[in-house]
Amino acid sequence: MAASEQPPPPPEGSRPLSALLSGIAQAAFHGNADITEELLHGQLYPEAPPEEFRALRAKMGGLLQSIASADMDLNQLEAFLTAQTKKQGGITSDQAAVIAKFWKNHRTHIHESLINQSRWDNVLKNMNWRVDLKSQSRHIDQINTPVAVVEMELGKNGQESEFLCLEFDEAKVSQMLKKLSEIEESMTLLTQTT
Amino acid sequence: MTRGRGRGHGRHRDTGGEGGGGGRGFLGPRVPVEVEAMARGVQDVGKEVFRRLLKVTVNALEGKDCKESVKLIAESANLSEEQLAFLISGMYTLLQEALRLPLSTFKQEVFKEDLKELRIPEDFIVDFSSVVFGNRRPTSEGSALIQKSRLPSIQDFKWRVDVAISTSSLARALQPSILMMMKLSDGTAHRFEVPVAKFQELRYNVALILKEMNDLEKRSVLKIQD
Repeated sequence: MAASEQPPPPPEGSRPLSALLSGIAQAAFHGNADITEELLHGQLYPEAPPEEFRALRAKMGGLLQSIASADMDLNQLEAFLTAQTKKQGGITSDQAAVIAKFWKNHRTHIHESLINQSRWDNVLKNMNWRVDLKSQSRHIDQINTPVAVVEMELGKNGQESEFLCLEFDEAKVSQMLKKLSEIEESMTLLTQTT
Repeated sequence: MTRGRGRGHGRHRDTGGEGGGGGRGFLGPRVPVEVEAMARGVQDVGKEVFRRLLKVTVNALEGKDCKESVKLIAESANLSEEQLAFLISGMYTLLQEALRLPLSTFKQEVFKEDLKELRIPEDFIVDFSSVVFGNRRPTSEGSALIQKSRLPSIQDFKWRVDVAISTSSLARALQPSILMMMKLSDGTAHRFEVPVAKFQELRYNVALILKEMNDLEKRSVLKIQD
């Protein structure tokens, strides 16, 4: 399935390889347990003897692991792959090209997944809001003052979310916005200096 | 309904009608069972005990814990647990219904008339009335009534920007993320992480809410000027 998503030019052997890389990434980075070694072997390299396939998978898995763990940019990747082609028992330059292409396409996604793997707290997943205008109330002073109702979805990966419903008056909203601006500022400062 | 009627004394229903006192009273077309039961039971209660019960009920409406004071009344007043239960719950419902009506349109005479129809003794009507219309009206702050119609709001908001340098899955992460901690008016606290992309979304939405509220206010100011 992943193979069909890859753009066309399949020189000899590159199609199963990029599919193999996708499979490895699914299993190793995205936590997809359905993709087993047997499945990849049977679907992509049915003719290869098991030992040979296992070695190929281990080699590619190791390379991907190094690339992803360092979150290599294109220059680093090129240097890394070139070194790999020159190494004894390394990879061919065709294989290097397939890996480079794969990484270019999947870097953001894989990086995101890896970041998520080190996130254990509840995460803000989504928010919804609405602004109400009270037209009638026991207390006259509440009439015609808008109220914001905000729903925040908090949850851990793969667990049921918790929904938090909050009410804000205008002062509270503008207070909140001020705090968020402070956060924004501190982040800009951080990213500028690095 | 049936339970109340089964225990009822005939003399209380001779005014006829399904729900006891008046069909158009502030309690609605059908008087709640517990109010009916309370109206019957309260006739046999002395003034002093009644006042203590009323005080407990008002405290309960204000959201205070009343376990101890109810226990004290139960010990001294010679009332069974069941009697005590329907007296207090009836008074609670009666006051709750009366207190939710705005004072501008709800008239004291109407209230008194309705209670008379329930055959609540005159003395007690005066006391009930002083809670709804007088200086014993529960304060709006901290009143359980009002709290119920509101969602919690944020009382305290703390944040921290974290940058993960290196993790078990990433040798070089260097990804900022925001940790937020919110204490709410209902006493709960919530801690959660906000990824940078989500944070931008959050900030955008909060700004949008503020704009929306400002627009609304402008519009309603115009309406009043019309």
